[in-house]
Amino acid sequence: MALARTPVTKRIGQVLRRLIERPASVSLAKYEKLLPQIEQREDEVRALSDDELTARAGKLRDGEPSDSFSNEQLIEICALGREAGRRALGERAFDVQLLGVMGLLTGHVVEMATGEGKTLVGALAASGYALRGKRVHVISVNDYLARRDAEWMRPVFELLGVTVGWVEPSRTHEERRNAYHCDVTYGAVSEIGFDVLRDRLVTDVEQRVMAKADVAIVDEADSVLVDEARVPLVMAGSVDANDADEEVAKIVRRLRPGLHYETDPDGRNAWLTPAGASVVEKALGGINLYDEEGSERLAAVNVALHAHALLTRDVDYIVRDGKVQLINASRGRVAELQRWPDGLQAAVEVKEQLPPSDRGEVLDSITVQALVGSYPTVAGMTGTAVAVAETLREFYRLEVAVIPPNAPVVRVDEDDRIFDSPSSKLRAIVAEIKRVHAEGRPILVGTQDVAESEELAEKLRKAGLECTVLNARNDAEEAEIIAEAGKKGAITVSTQMAGRGTDIKLGGSNGTPEERAEVVELGGLYVIGTARYPSSRLDDQLRGRAGRQGDPGGSIFFASLNDDLVVSGAPDVPDGLVPDDDGEISHPAAKRHIDHAQRVMEGANLEIHRNTWRYTRLIERQRSDLLEFREKVLTTDVAAEYLQSEESEASKHYDDVVEKLGEDKARRMAREVLLFHLDQLWSDHLAFLADVRESIHLRALGKETPIDEFHRAAIPEYHKIIPTAKERLAETFQDAEVVDGELDVAAVGVRRPTSTWTYLVHDNPFDSDAEQALKKVRGLLRKKRW
Amino acid sequence: MLSVIRSALATPDLRKKILFTLMIVVLYRVGAVTPAPGVSYEAVQACQPDQGEQGVFSLLNLFSGGALLQLSIFSTGIMPYITASIIVQLLTVVIPRFEELKKEGQAGQNKLTQYTRYLTIALAVLQATGVIALATRGGMFANCPQDVIPDSSVGSTALIVLTMTAGTAVMMWMGELITERGIGNGMSLLIFLNIAARIPIEGEIILSNQGGAVFAVVCVFVLAIISSVVFVEQGQRRIPVQYAKRMVGRRMYGGTSTYLPIKVNQAGVIPVIFASSLLYLPDLISRLVTPETETSWFKRVMAEYVTNQSNWVHIAIYFALIIFFTYFYISITFNVDDRAEDMKKYGGFIPGIRPGRPTAEYLHFVLNRITLPGSIYLGIVAILPNFFLDLTGEGNNQNFPFGGTAVLIMVGVALDTVKQIESQLMQRNYEGFLR
Repeated sequence: MALARTPVTKRIGQVLRRLIERPASVSLAKYEKLLPQIEQREDEVRALSDDELTARAGKLRDGEPSDSFSNEQLIEICALGREAGRRALGERAFDVQLLGVMGLLTGHVVEMATGEGKTLVGALAASGYALRGKRVHVISVNDYLARRDAEWMRPVFELLGVTVGWVEPSRTHEERRNAYHCDVTYGAVSEIGFDVLRDRLVTDVEQRVMAKADVAIVDEADSVLVDEARVPLVMAGSVDANDADEEVAKIVRRLRPGLHYETDPDGRNAWLTPAGASVVEKALGGINLYDEEGSERLAAVNVALHAHALLTRDVDYIVRDGKVQLINASRGRVAELQRWPDGLQAAVEVKEQLPPSDRGEVLDSITVQALVGSYPTVAGMTGTAVAVAETLREFYRLEVAVIPPNAPVVRVDEDDRIFDSPSSKLRAIVAEIKRVHAEGRPILVGTQDVAESEELAEKLRKAGLECTVLNARNDAEEAEIIAEAGKKGAITVSTQMAGRGTDIKLGGSNGTPEERAEVVELGGLYVIGTARYPSSRLDDQLRGRAGRQGDPGGSIFFASLNDDLVVSGAPDVPDGLVPDDDGEISHPAAKRHIDHAQRVMEGANLEIHRNTWRYTRLIERQRSDLLEFREKVLTTDVAAEYLQSEESEASKHYDDVVEKLGEDKARRMAREVLLFHLDQLWSDHLAFLADVRESIHLRALGKETPIDEFHRAAIPEYHKIIPTAKERLAETFQDAEVVDGELDVAAVGVRRPTSTWTYLVHDNPFDSDAEQALKKVRGLLRKKRW
Repeated sequence: MLSVIRSALATPDLRKKILFTLMIVVLYRVGAVTPAPGVSYEAVQACQPDQGEQGVFSLLNLFSGGALLQLSIFSTGIMPYITASIIVQLLTVVIPRFEELKKEGQAGQNKLTQYTRYLTIALAVLQATGVIALATRGGMFANCPQDVIPDSSVGSTALIVLTMTAGTAVMMWMGELITERGIGNGMSLLIFLNIAARIPIEGEIILSNQGGAVFAVVCVFVLAIISSVVFVEQGQRRIPVQYAKRMVGRRMYGGTSTYLPIKVNQAGVIPVIFASSLLYLPDLISRLVTPETETSWFKRVMAEYVTNQSNWVHIAIYFALIIFFTYFYISITFNVDDRAEDMKKYGGFIPGIRPGRPTAEYLHFVLNRITLPGSIYLGIVAILPNFFLDLTGEGNNQNFPFGGTAVLIMVGVALDTVKQIESQLMQRNYEGFLR
């Protein structure tokens, strides 16, 4: 309301401020004008009974379907939605929330401060689309949020006459299909992506679970569209039992860092030194690792070395229920059903002396871009969108609109405190927690990984401070732990998982108003970050846990010059940063350096994203081309017709099969066999591309463009797929025999996916010529300085 | 080749890009011949020097597509931009702030690009002022009876400077537009254009001076040079590389596509530019140090052996310098130790050769061997025109568009652009062309 009636001068001021502070965002001013009209309709809507409300919402379904909303429709959706929210949840949507709804209905990514009730906004916008006859997917960042939001918002949807469902990994085929046939479906980006991938591999139309959806509303848009989009969703199926090389693992275990192998500072690669190589060669019976024959053994050694030197238990993975489970670095959660590729999983299992799991083979993959791009309409919401506005525009052609907070944020963000070593930092963190805890103020500590969270908890307990730990190990209790994190005197040590979508209520979730008032009096929740994250957005997300909806709150980050961020982003720490007796560095250059390191990491991650996108665009195009053919095979009798028309011997064999099994069955068999070969050839094609991708950056040395060379290699290979599949179909029919009324085609049938993994490769790790020359000069200058 | 063009034009997306590029090219050429305000068109036309008398300006003039000696609105050319990018690159070594920006990925790079643009404008102002100062004092056109800039008042001069600076800014923008929305690298394409624009003019000179028979011979000869340059430019030594970081499932790939390519002409055109610039120096120095009338022995020796491009001594020095600079440039730009280190890190190796030091030594060995023919090839391409100096008249002929530098640059850019079109085609034109 206040928004719509601000004087002109102030409005101009707002526009200017928007241009200066958030140059990448668009204005929602024209929708602000609708807010008074929505309010006018409030009494009228409030007088309706529940059934009348539902019926009135149903009226929106009338009329021609169109891609955009008229102002009248926007007003009606918001008015009915606000009332539905009030009745079902007791939450009357604020003006800013309705502005967010309208932003979503017009295809924007809206930035709303944390704690402003994004869930309701998303639900109302989803109903708006659904009431206009669109099928909506609300894509969230994890399964927990998808399920929680769907269940929480269900009454609102029901009042508006919109059906809602959700998917998560544990749901059955039938449940999934029902969920996808609702008007609105909630799901994590990976879950929806995997369903897309699974649907692509069905051998019978009936097996598909998804229905074509028109709209994607992406919750935590920056996380889903930027962070998660760095790596494609890859579906793998198990091929055979894993043959991890235990002999090699034993040898590798004896190697010593520095002497036998080295690792790079950002912990991405490990390699043998000459001494290490000779030790391994001798232990393996005097072979040469570096000739053609030795390369398989070398691969085993490299994989074992990677598992041994670079993957740390409780940082990269945890061992739970006798299984190795990966931890997703950007969320701090266990990544369900995720494995490492290329034998690494088995190597880690051997390292932990667990039984090796099945070996996987990549069946299909899709990028988040391609997934999101397949929806005609996309909208999103998040607390931190402006920081990635450029990226969203570049990759998704989405514009960011900023929604002002309902109540101004009064959180106090203190300056970072920087230390010379991790140990002095840890000491200071414990001291700070002790100091704040003495006042009774609730504290949330955000750590980098599971191991750190546990180490800190241990330190706190030694110092006599009781704390609750929330990490990948106990993510099932997440909701309860978070509910109590706002209680007086609570100390919660968490990984990044407390970063998004979790609402910490002051005084505890069931706290009395007095308890709340007491915590408010103390200054609200105090958030401590134990190190800066690889992107400023993640920092802001953690800070955003405090000071929600105008609550008081505070935040502070601790950092050291040995943090992973600094080591991998900007290892050259400037001279002259003298720590005081406690190891604290107050010189502004230290802060600048850490900011710089963070920007370097952000830049590097963006580059990875861009590369993934560039390389996978071709693959996606080939895939959709092939899927078109696959669809034809699936829905028509192309396969059988091909066999019949074939002048080769296969037609005779096919006639044979028809005679024995009947026309219908023979057609089905032909279809299934061709589908199988297509899928397998695609899987081979992906493996080939992965292989090419690995070395393609070397082409830059010959002044060629790696991406172009990649295309050059990929395209002829692709065009072999369909002819080869047909050939193999014919071969199968020639070779297979009819046994017990079935055509016995061994290994026919689509293997169900069992695991997922990710891959990351840089495009061109080399520098240009000029870069090389400059490096030399730089090196000379450095030497001189000495 | 023709089929590539045909299918390129048949793809709407690509056709749009090509037409866009052509539109920019046309605008650019129009600008290159539009006289700047305050310049007397007749005087400029009357004073156009003969080929060979341009001396020091010839390289600049070549790079501006003849716009410099036309005193057109694009006189300053893209040289300020090239200089600015080199300076900003060098500053990343000296200024820590720039070094930091460089490391910060795209965002930092954008800032550096912005600085490059500002610096370009500043340099353009300097260069435009210099050009006008030279032109008004008659330094640009020797023996010119007329005033090329009749009104040399401050206001008029400022207007010309402003126009030329704006011209450079527009050119920079055009280059970026081509890179962004057209085909190929905009800046390279503009350089290509500048050189190509001189071809008809030079051809005409040969035709009118020497007659049809010689002209035909030259044409055949030039075509032969171009095709052999195209041939050698695409030559590369492919060192097989294996990556043993992944346990590959069912099959290993033959390794046909995993190799490390080393070009025969790994150094590109840079050694030739270095060598020819170095050979200009004595001439420039002698002009600066001694007055026009005086003839010292130094000057005489220089004129006889170093400046005179048809002299055997000059040709020999030129050739030797090119070979030296080829080795020199490759030794700085292709760091075998770094390459070996990178391969080791990412789990790659050359079959039969151990990673680390032995790999570096092997690369060094191959690189040295391939650089010898490469450098001789560069030298030959560069000196060939010197044997045909008499064809277009006397004097400095090195930068005549069929000269070594020009051919190398043009072929390089053309190959790149065609490759880009091809790759775009591959990505876009799935049906029809590729099947």
